[in-house]
Amino acid sequence: MISFENVTKTYPGEVDAVIDLTLEVAEGETISLLGTSGSGKTTTMKMVNRLVDPTCGRILVAGVDIMEQDPTVLRRSMGYAIQHIGLFPHMSVAENIGVVPNLLGWDRKRVDERVDTLLSMVGLEPGEFRDRMPSQLSGGQRQRIGVARALGADPPIILMDEPFGALDPITREELQNEFLELETEIRKTILFVTHDVFEAVKMGDRIALMDEGRLQQFATPRELVENPANEFVDQFLGQHRFQLSLLTRTVRTIVDEVADTDGQGPSQRPEVFIPGHSSLVAALDLFKTTGRETIPVYLRDKYRGTLSKSDLIKVISQILGDTGGGQ
Amino acid sequence: MNAIATFFNDFGHQMLISTQEHVILTVVAMLIATATAVPLGIILSRCRFKMVVSAVLGAVNIVQPIPSLALVAFTLALFIWLNNIIVAVHLPVIGMLPGLVALVAYALLPILRNTYTGVKQVDPTVIEVATGMGMTKRQILFSVELPLALPFIMAGIRIATVWTIGVATLVSLVGAGGLGDLVFKGLSNYRIALIFAGAAPAAALALLCDWVLGIVEKWLSPSGVQEPQSGGV
Repeated sequence: MISFENVTKTYPGEVDAVIDLTLEVAEGETISLLGTSGSGKTTTMKMVNRLVDPTCGRILVAGVDIMEQDPTVLRRSMGYAIQHIGLFPHMSVAENIGVVPNLLGWDRKRVDERVDTLLSMVGLEPGEFRDRMPSQLSGGQRQRIGVARALGADPPIILMDEPFGALDPITREELQNEFLELETEIRKTILFVTHDVFEAVKMGDRIALMDEGRLQQFATPRELVENPANEFVDQFLGQHRFQLSLLTRTVRTIVDEVADTDGQGPSQRPEVFIPGHSSLVAALDLFKTTGRETIPVYLRDKYRGTLSKSDLIKVISQILGDTGGGQ
Repeated sequence: MNAIATFFNDFGHQMLISTQEHVILTVVAMLIATATAVPLGIILSRCRFKMVVSAVLGAVNIVQPIPSLALVAFTLALFIWLNNIIVAVHLPVIGMLPGLVALVAYALLPILRNTYTGVKQVDPTVIEVATGMGMTKRQILFSVELPLALPFIMAGIRIATVWTIGVATLVSLVGAGGLGDLVFKGLSNYRIALIFAGAAPAAALALLCDWVLGIVEKWLSPSGVQEPQSGGV
């Protein structure tokens, strides 16, 4: 869907922002662009909607070189959400969300319907919020509107630059979870810029870790955590290694290792179960809240085995040993 | 009661004519000044060269500290000088025109400066988002920057209007008419009532315009524009 081919961006008289970046983003995939400030992650994202033009190399979107497209047309085909939200303060919530649909010349009725759909999607009651001004919203609500606006004209690609960065931790987590849920429904190709490794792991199907303009590793969260490509990646994950392992390893991998998958489970999914793709942390949480000793694991509707608390704890302590508790 | 009746009997007609002239002077001067200063302010806000910006703002600034009375005299002198050096030009040295030129020169600065500041104060992230969403430069100007700058521009117009109403009493000196006619006539004849007949409507006019334009300004500024866009909950 989006491919970077040997893309370099240099600013005269400054350190190169992005150096020889080659990256392929598949359709429907969420890529976390991870790095510290100055790593080139934001520049990389801004090159996709041509807020920044590459110095050399090519960027293809759906197979077409973006330099051959009219920037305004290109931009209208991509959602864009940023940390500072940038809601237009003189426009109502509905007008803000309707900006791109209006630019595309949708008729009024269609825009109105779209606005209401999107407001419901981000969990805000349309009747209550449609006519509010941005100044009448809380930080979390504004950010929801920011996300809704990025989805305005239902673009196939969404660019998000630390969209939850300015929020307090609780609201932030709430919005991350809501967005993940939303994402499974809308199936967009998403570039998600963040400096927070936990957010990157949580949001991304794959993570592109950048440093000083260079791509250090491009891999799934688990691969990144378990097989760091170089010393930088290793150091970047640093003391978070153990926690990240618990987040990136799924229950399924343990069940395959320790539990007998031959055992037939109940044909109907029981009330308490662990989805196979849950993280170890989520499983631990479930053991804690239910107080059970064993919980069945399901992958979609298929029974995959039963996880016991003791097995889980054994694996966790093993990871603790592997990741070097002394770090 | 009798005194008031006599006052209006004596001066009422003249007050009406002079006020009308005064209003026309003000309105025309403000229209010209706004039509010039607003586009100029926008162009200036787009200008990349700081030198040019400070040069233009500086040039307009020079006019401001000149006492209004002197400015009227300067305009007159300028007209005479232009008539002398350019043979083909015969500018009327007396009348509406030199008066208007002085008024416009005075009204330019507040509008120009406020337009410039108004456009410049728009949050750059808002502009970037607008660009990122696919608005053209023109669309950004008309549907983002100008609406957000409007309260500033209106404030400039309001200040300029009040000044212009005041200065317009002086342009009577170059024969441009207005309420100054009554004031100066009263002054030369030692007739306090006549001075009052000129000064009172001018003051009332200034207060009225300030009030009305203040309401317009408030009405034009959408709720929330002046509030900072911070991430607070």
